[in-house]
Amino acid sequence: MALDRIFGENSMVFIRSEQLFDAARRNSLWYVSFGIACCAIEGLMSAGGPRFDYDRFGIFHRGSPRQADVMIVAGTVNKKMAHVVRKLYDQMPEPKWVIAMGACACTGGPFREYPNVVLGVDQVVPVDIYVPGCPPRPESMQYAFMQLQEKISRRTEERLAAR
Amino acid sequence: MTDDRLRATPDEPIVAEGRRVPLTSPKGLRRVPRGVDELATEHLIVNMGPQHPSTHGVLHILLELDGEVVMAAEASLGYLHRGIEKLAESRRHHQVGTLLDRADYVSGIHTELAYAMAIERLMEIEVPEKAHWLRTLMGEINRITSHVLFVGTFGMDTGSMPTFLYTMREREALVDILEAVTGSRMMFNYVRPGGVTGDLPAGIIAKLETFLADVDMYLDEYDVLLTDNEIFGPRTKGVGVIDGTTAVAFGMTGAPLRATGVAWDIRKAHPYAAYAELDFDVPLGSQGDCFDRFVVKTAEIRESLKMIRQLIAGVPEGPHMAKVPKVLRPPAGEVYTAVESPRGELGIHLVSDGSDLPYRMRLRSPAYYNLAVIDEALAGGLIADAVVTLGSLDIILGEIDR
Amino acid sequence: MLPAEADVTRWLAAAGAAADEVTTTTLGVMARIEAARAADVLATLRDGEGDFDMLVDLFAIDTGEGIDLRYHLRALDRDEDLYLSAYVDYDGEAPSVWRCYPAALYPEREAAEMFGMMFAGHPNPKRLLTTDEVAAPLLRKSTLIRTWEETRRD
Repeated sequence: MALDRIFGENSMVFIRSEQLFDAARRNSLWYVSFGIACCAIEGLMSAGGPRFDYDRFGIFHRGSPRQADVMIVAGTVNKKMAHVVRKLYDQMPEPKWVIAMGACACTGGPFREYPNVVLGVDQVVPVDIYVPGCPPRPESMQYAFMQLQEKISRRTEERLAAR
Repeated sequence: MTDDRLRATPDEPIVAEGRRVPLTSPKGLRRVPRGVDELATEHLIVNMGPQHPSTHGVLHILLELDGEVVMAAEASLGYLHRGIEKLAESRRHHQVGTLLDRADYVSGIHTELAYAMAIERLMEIEVPEKAHWLRTLMGEINRITSHVLFVGTFGMDTGSMPTFLYTMREREALVDILEAVTGSRMMFNYVRPGGVTGDLPAGIIAKLETFLADVDMYLDEYDVLLTDNEIFGPRTKGVGVIDGTTAVAFGMTGAPLRATGVAWDIRKAHPYAAYAELDFDVPLGSQGDCFDRFVVKTAEIRESLKMIRQLIAGVPEGPHMAKVPKVLRPPAGEVYTAVESPRGELGIHLVSDGSDLPYRMRLRSPAYYNLAVIDEALAGGLIADAVVTLGSLDIILGEIDR
Repeated sequence: MLPAEADVTRWLAAAGAAADEVTTTTLGVMARIEAARAADVLATLRDGEGDFDMLVDLFAIDTGEGIDLRYHLRALDRDEDLYLSAYVDYDGEAPSVWRCYPAALYPEREAAEMFGMMFAGHPNPKRLLTTDEVAAPLLRKSTLIRTWEETRRD
């Protein structure tokens, strides 16, 4: 156990339950394997591959949105897809986070002039982290997940301070 | 469902209050229609996708099931329709490549090449030999990255997760080389009308040779993992059979067509770039089932490696870009150029009106026509085979929906 | 490979089509046919002497006055390509060719929704790529893309 190494063997740690849960959430961000377009190759497939291996952060893909915490919107969302994205988001259990990956998911990207394209996925679902790039490198996604982890721990602190 | 046929008389509730009917469903559930002795089944409509791990993107297939047997299938496209053909009409000719990279996002070099060839044929630009050589080399490297991704995802479709991890190792090695040459991992924008953007950086041939020294061992690993695997064979042999006549009638090209035994490869039929000088075979299948499509693809990886070895044996000298005007204004006219992308015949039908914008650009995408057969190929099979058949066609939704 | 213009004229005559407009351009050999007779002409080209067994592509071009339907046929054995062009009015109708070339099933649906026309006899004449939220036929020249102001986000 890593905790043994930090606090010594057979030690006891007192922690607020919220902090414990948020620590667990932070370190097991399971994303729904839902790749829309080009970014899916970089952010979901290369990410699961041996080089980038997000699994070491506890970030792993799930086939069903009902088992997932994070949705990576990896690609252009058009008007036909927007309903699906919303439905998938509604199916995910709370707490849930959304990462808009790439220029298309952030603003519409190179396709923003086309009338069928939604200008950014934040018009459909609330977005926590925006990742620029077309497509962002897998390292950018790693950084995005680290930012998301920070955001989760910040939320714990805010809630404790407000008490 | 308030179907009257399910009730004894229209007014009678399905199970009368207080009366216990032996061997029928509990109250509230549907009962077997009167007059039917055996357990009645009905057809079930199942939505596969748009979010499904094995639809390779956002494809939506409606499956009509009778138990486990697929009675009918209908693909619903358009979840990634983002107007590449429309937006190309408002882009200058050397800006169109940016859009086309995102059409077939696994093999961008080929789409760019088709467009560059269209402009070159209209404007009668003479492309230097070095540019032809670089286009062929990068195209074949890109073909391998696409094919190994297919092997990995097809392994996942048939239930072998480890294959994906092995294939990503080769893909990353080649993507590094592509990145060193073109500057990007996926969206290259490397092939431009008149040539390519840059020459090979120093030391890249040595890096490629290191990869080539080990790659045969890697390919043998794929054979152990999939081709000779006890589970993989029965899972794919005789599944999703498409015969040659159907394949031609549906306009299929590429590995799915060659798996039926029809020898059609643009690289042989109409050699472009440096393919005329290369010695390579076109692997053919015979049965037209999923296993043949897989074997043709893996054999094509070996052929591509053969071509890369021939290419790096003789590096031509000279410029990598012809002298082209800053603003391309091809004369009014039409042209159709086709390349053999990893998925099949990728054609650009370009209509120019003499201005610096294309009047109409049609992307003849191979996966679009390869996918059309899915309505035929899935019907009559099992639902578990639907995933395998779909995976074996190696579709990319970006170029299907455009 | 280009088929000989005389052969194309003969094949088209066998289909009963006017055969005076066969031209060779940078594209290849192109013949102009009457849109209303497209299904018959293509059936004859496929089953008759022409033996064009593959429909490589079917798409439409907005010419500014109407819709130019393009059929790209190929005889795989001889490696010959033939292009057919058929004019249809806006909101007009052309016969579906899916019976002789099932490859036309998707592209016809796409052309119908993108250019606002009809294919008579299509077994599944639904929208292919968009939903009803997008009313205008998107690939027509009269449908404009968003301007820079419309794509701005504040």
